[in-house]
Amino acid sequence: MPKIPRIIIYVLMIGGCFALIPPLVFARMRATPSPNAPIHIFWDMDLQPKYKTQTPNPLFADQRSMRPLVQGAVARGESYVDTHLYEGVVNGQWATTLPASISLDETTLNRGQQRFNIYCSACHGYAGFGDGAVNQRAMELVANANGPVNGTQWVAAKSLHDDTTRNQPMGQLFNTVTHGIRNMAGYGSQISVPDRWAVVAYVKALQFSQDAGSAGAQVAGASN
Amino acid sequence: MSRFLFPRWSNALLPFVLIVGAIAPLYVSLLVAYGFSPKTLDGQYQPEQPVPYSHALHVGKLGLDCRYCHNTVETASHAAVPPTQTCMNCHTQIHKDSPRLAPVRESYETGMPIEWIKVHKLGDYAYFNHAAHVTRGVSCVECHGRVDQMEVVHRAQPLAMGWCLDCHRNPVDHVRPPEEVFAIWKPTDTWTKDERLELIKKNNIHPNEYCSTCHR
Ligand code: HEC
Ligand code: HEC
Ligand code: HEC
Ligand code: HEC
Ligand code: HEC
Ligand code: HEC
Repeated sequence: MPKIPRIIIYVLMIGGCFALIPPLVFARMRATPSPNAPIHIFWDMDLQPKYKTQTPNPLFADQRSMRPLVQGAVARGESYVDTHLYEGVVNGQWATTLPASISLDETTLNRGQQRFNIYCSACHGYAGFGDGAVNQRAMELVANANGPVNGTQWVAAKSLHDDTTRNQPMGQLFNTVTHGIRNMAGYGSQISVPDRWAVVAYVKALQFSQDAGSAGAQVAGASN
Repeated sequence: MSRFLFPRWSNALLPFVLIVGAIAPLYVSLLVAYGFSPKTLDGQYQPEQPVPYSHALHVGKLGLDCRYCHNTVETASHAAVPPTQTCMNCHTQIHKDSPRLAPVRESYETGMPIEWIKVHKLGDYAYFNHAAHVTRGVSCVECHGRVDQMEVVHRAQPLAMGWCLDCHRNPVDHVRPPEEVFAIWKPTDTWTKDERLELIKKNNIHPNEYCSTCHR
């Protein structure tokens, strides 16, 4: 039998190698992150002309389909007449107790602890001494040998066990959480009203745990 | 004109042709199954974002909780991508002149949102709910992977119906105590299978498979 010509053998070998390419391409698509959009073969109803919570909407100048509230808008059922609940103010003075709708119990304190750890501990630290990871990193950036990195300025997050803070009435703390104070931003848009009071109650409890002075008396007073 | 005849050497190829003929259909069907599966088509989509925001830095190193920014996950179907104000809680001071944060400052001044590119997106005909999963003990890590180690977020799982159903049929390997949902660095097998089975019984977790759950 005559020999198979070389060229045919080469063609077959190369063909065999090419057959390995698609699986390798697919394996790579699976295994490595890539900026190429996912491939849709059948589009079906994937893109419907409807707007979801955070999809852009070309009708509005700012492209938000989720419209920001008009200034001064009041949600149904919320009147904001209760200045104690919404502003922490009673008769023009900072409230010294929790509003009537928030009870001082274990649930509130646990909730407060959880929210404090989410929103406050980054700067103020888990125990409130102002030693959170963000605070420490910011201090490092300011203390950098070649001058503050990228113009970082940082006022140390205050220890919540300072005398000034410890003696603050609950209403004032609530106001700080809601609107911020000096260099600290407000958390009113991130934390709901009852949760802000829970945080305040927890801060008071923290202060009490570190110093059984006036703060403790306030928590005791509020629970009556 | 003479008729075309296969040269004699082609007889030697015959067994080879038969083998290839037998393998080819197998090859093609495996290739289609592998290549057209959502895992391949979805890939690990990682778009380039307008700001080089890093979860590895903010979550992994600074230890921020997911809810600091995605503060709706526990209560809403939708996990909100944070507004510019949230970044500015810190970045009015930290790295305040950084060129990398220029789009954030611009957005803060003009009120125009930063145009983050959506990484995870289901077809508009499918309904998904974050609160339903997060409050029942399915952690972010089951669906989004180790976000706390990602410099740039990418898709860790194919967002296909088969993937949803795999878990809905057998959630044991994917649940944990609800209070540990945000500790995404803890692998789910921190809790033994028995503990997880117990959990499913205690919390009465029964993800359902009715079409109307997800197509409504
Ligand atoms: C981004 C970091 C950061 C976060 C997060 C943060 N704070 Fe602050 N906080 C600060 C800084 C900085 C100050 C000091 C402000 C100054 O003196 O200019 C401060 C000050 C305070 C004060 C003292 C106010 C006074 O009258 O002196 C209180 C109380 C306080 N924070 C409570 C909270 C609570 C409660 C939370 C969580 C909801 C919180 N902070 C989250 C940075 C932060
Ligand atoms: C400091 C704020 C911040 C924190 C904390 C944070 N994220 Fe994000 N996250 C963002 C921003 C901004 C984006 C949009 C840009 C992007 O995709 O990188 C995002 C995007 C994402 C996406 C992709 C969204 C999409 O487009 O599909 C996922 C998933 C995600 N985050 C999960 C998490 C998880 C899980 C945690 C907690 C471990 C977390 N994030 C903590 C700010 C944050
Ligand atoms: C709780 C505080 C905090 C919040 C909120 C926050 N960051 Fe940061 N961010 C930091 C700190 C601290 C650094 C510096 C870390 C370092 O240099 O090691 C940083 C660094 C950065 C950097 C790198 C800057 C540079 O030039 O190196 C970018 C980009 C950035 N953040 C984007 C964002 C975006 C976008 C958001 C909003 C989704 C955000 N950050 C929210 C604290 C925060
Ligand atoms: C059961 C799976 C699952 C779990 C658990 C889960 N996600 Fe998601 N996530 C998804 C899916 C699916 C989408 C796409 C939703 C869509 O397109 O409607 C998504 C989208 C997102 C987005 C983008 C939303 C947008 O509109 O851009 C963010 C941010 C996000 N998830 C954060 C989180 C965080 C934080 C957690 C943990 C608390 C979490 N997810 C837990 C499946 C999950
Ligand atoms: C890692 C596991 C897991 C994955 C993946 C998963 N789910 Fe779920 N899902 C659950 C669990 C657990 C529940 C809660 C069941 C319960 O409450 O009894 C649930 C509940 C739901 C619910 C609410 C059902 C109800 O009765 O209200 C919807 C809707 C849903 N899932 C949709 C999806 C979709 C769509 C996907 C895919 C994008 C998906 N899920 C992926 C575990 C998962
Ligand atoms: C756990 C949630 C869930 C359940 C239950 C579910 N689906 Fe789906 N379905 C999805 C998701 C997620 C997708 C894919 C969305 C995408 O690709 O973006 C999908 C896609 C589809 C598609 C389009 C497939 C394609 O690729 O074009 C069809 C058709 C469909 N589902 C039918 C059904 C039917 C029929 C049932 C009931 C037997 C059902 N689904 C139950 C979540 C679900």
